[in-house]
Amino acid sequence: MEVLFRESGIYLPEIDLWLDNTEPCACTWISHGHSDHARGCHGKAIGTPVTLRFYRMRLWLGENNTEPVQHPLEFSESMDWNGARLTAFPASHILGAAQLLIQYKNERLVYTGDIKLRRPLAGETTQPLQCDRLIIESTFGLPIYKLLERDAAVSAIVHFARECLADGVTPVFIGYALGRGQEIVHVLCEAGIPTAVHGAIAKFIPVYEECGYGFNGWEPYDARATEGKALVVVPSHSSTLEVSGKAVRIAYVSGWAALDNARTRSGAEELIPYSDHADFDELLSLVTLSGAKDVDVVHGYTEPFAHILRTRGFSAAAPQRAGDRTSVEAEG
Amino acid sequence: MDRLAAACEDIQRHASRLKKVSILAEYFKTLDSQELALAVQFLSSGPLGRGNPTLFETGEKLQLKIGRSVLREALRVATGWDKETLSVCHAQVGDTGETVCLLMRGTSAEEPLGLLAADDLYQELFDARTTARRVELLAAAFRKYQPLTVKYFVKIITRGLRIGLMARQVQEAVAAAGGATARVAARLFHPLDLMLAKPLERVEDLADPAEWLIEDKYDGMRAQVHFDHGVVRIFSRNMEEITQAFPELVNEFGGLPGNGLLDGEILAWRAGRALNFNVLQRRLSIKRARATLVAEVPVIFMAYDLLLRDGEMLLGEPLSRRREKLEELRPTMISRQHRVGSRAEVDRLFSEARARGNEGLLLKKPDSVYEPAKRGGAWLKLKRPYGTLDVVITAAEQGSGRRATVFSDYTFAVRAAQGFVNVGKAYSGLTDEEIKDLTRQLRSASTEKFGRMMLVKPEVVLEVAFDGVQRSTRHKGGYALRFPRILRWRKDKRPEECDDLGRVEALYQASVE
Repeated sequence: MEVLFRESGIYLPEIDLWLDNTEPCACTWISHGHSDHARGCHGKAIGTPVTLRFYRMRLWLGENNTEPVQHPLEFSESMDWNGARLTAFPASHILGAAQLLIQYKNERLVYTGDIKLRRPLAGETTQPLQCDRLIIESTFGLPIYKLLERDAAVSAIVHFARECLADGVTPVFIGYALGRGQEIVHVLCEAGIPTAVHGAIAKFIPVYEECGYGFNGWEPYDARATEGKALVVVPSHSSTLEVSGKAVRIAYVSGWAALDNARTRSGAEELIPYSDHADFDELLSLVTLSGAKDVDVVHGYTEPFAHILRTRGFSAAAPQRAGDRTSVEAEG
Repeated sequence: MDRLAAACEDIQRHASRLKKVSILAEYFKTLDSQELALAVQFLSSGPLGRGNPTLFETGEKLQLKIGRSVLREALRVATGWDKETLSVCHAQVGDTGETVCLLMRGTSAEEPLGLLAADDLYQELFDARTTARRVELLAAAFRKYQPLTVKYFVKIITRGLRIGLMARQVQEAVAAAGGATARVAARLFHPLDLMLAKPLERVEDLADPAEWLIEDKYDGMRAQVHFDHGVVRIFSRNMEEITQAFPELVNEFGGLPGNGLLDGEILAWRAGRALNFNVLQRRLSIKRARATLVAEVPVIFMAYDLLLRDGEMLLGEPLSRRREKLEELRPTMISRQHRVGSRAEVDRLFSEARARGNEGLLLKKPDSVYEPAKRGGAWLKLKRPYGTLDVVITAAEQGSGRRATVFSDYTFAVRAAQGFVNVGKAYSGLTDEEIKDLTRQLRSASTEKFGRMMLVKPEVVLEVAFDGVQRSTRHKGGYALRFPRILRWRKDKRPEECDDLGRVEALYQASVE
């Protein structure tokens, strides 16, 4: 099947379908709700029900104010599309994230979207898929990136919060508005730590709650009442806290926190290298488990990771396209 | 070494200086004296120390010949990753030791490494004759020991721990851990932390003036001269080598018999007195001095202590005996010492020192031993501010550690023909409460922000004390105050009432004439 890598997304001309197109188009698959994947007012949007919900929450309808036609696809559910069969499978990333299996004329193509292999703090767990051709991300596609497993991340988050509170200092966690933010809040709530949450993160909590994740006892962030609480804020808010005159210690929970230089870049003292993206070993496992003959690497360290795959005998390429930079909101 | 690495990692996690010191002190407490000496050496001066065959090897021979290419080759051998991949990885991490650690995780034997064994390993690397052998030794170490330990083992070689730990904090931690167990040795051609003086605010605070040896406190550059039969190396207080900048001193000490290590002050000198620090600065800004500059700005080394002489370590000897030895050595200039009987005489000496253009006085206990890096009570400095000025804040910056959440560092200015011109920056002098209030006021006066810094409308007037005025190319007005500190926040004054550039100029002129 022909695959075209374009600046705004990936296009499959034989079945006239886009994958994560960020510009308005006739029809696109949306892998998950981050705004560098789910945006633009399309004619038709296909995605899991949760992803479509995040997409709607952030959508600006444009001047004609017409909502896209939405086609929800549950996990393991299939649909026919222009002679191909599309099936959604869980991807460990943010809530609702999915891989798409496209079966067309005896070929199996898998588009992972943003993915990790291991179980996330909150969200579904990846089901590895076999295919002929794999399109995979490589946000952390260098061997220096070995990230924490779920349990280790939970204990690092909880330990930091308790250590700060015991010292009379306010622990502040930097998390992204959608995904990491709710994951951290979920972990803190489960540990029974009083938690105040920035509005940009709080607005997505109800969706997580409906999917069965516990968020007992959090409250909205109020600058005047932070004593004895852990704060979860978006990155842009942390510098405001730094000059607030309050005694705070900041933790940065991110894959980028795997490197010491993340301290200077984030202003955080504590680094917790946990991500909703696969680390290097997970990426290698995903590729190996897929059994794919051909691998296309999109997002992140595409060229170095494709090079590494080639040295290990895979037929791998890093298709040229713009937009391989880290977005502001998410790590992918 | 494993626990040293763990302590370093923990130190990184804390911006608070006190916390850093306490983590390190807790670790130091677990060490015996030999280990402690090694730990201190690794944290402050580098990989080579104990294992050296003699005290008097020259500095050149003590360099570990391990550069980036050797380390990268060792990493390639140890990991099997190709050069292309390694170079992308290194570019992301920006630190060789950390890159090694990240890539070795999960693939090394994780055997323990003690401080003494690490020292042996450095020695083995030092003794290795070929690059191939050094690569082999390093690659074997990368595979054998815990990646975190290897991270710091390499950082010590590359001489940059980059964990926000200052030499002074290492010394503070030694003191906090019980100090006495750390016997510091002076070694020729290895820069040493110099002993420091504690400020003495008022002469009245001196219990018995007769107990002290009193010298002028010069406004020059503190330095240490190491010499051995014609070989001379000079180091700054920060342990940087500055030999090349002072050929006349190399000449002088090259002619002295035997070997020795002196503590003293480099001064620009003419007609029997020290010139303003600004004059000396012309020499400091140039790494290798040319003859014309040497003739224009002649310097001398004012010796005031002798720490090693002909192989004999003098750190533990009383000052009076070190002084005798210094006088026997007969360098060109030795700082004059006085003994007085009354506070009035101290005052008189102070005025005389000032009249000679010097900063003030140093008072030293005759029976005191030389304690590197220590700012104890055995040496005192009396320096009284040179003057005070009313200045206005034009920019503010967030501090660090405890002061990370407030604006505690201020750039300040005096009035000029048009507006205000900056003359300095001050960090200390206000209480936490005042800094908090000031932060609130400055944030509302902010006009522009760059990261942790902001420009503010000139509204807040401070009274600052300082130790001198110097020429400055950094500030538009052409002058900078030396060692400014904040005396108080003059809420009663408006910016139009602060001092002007004319006053600063006049103070400068008075100091150079």
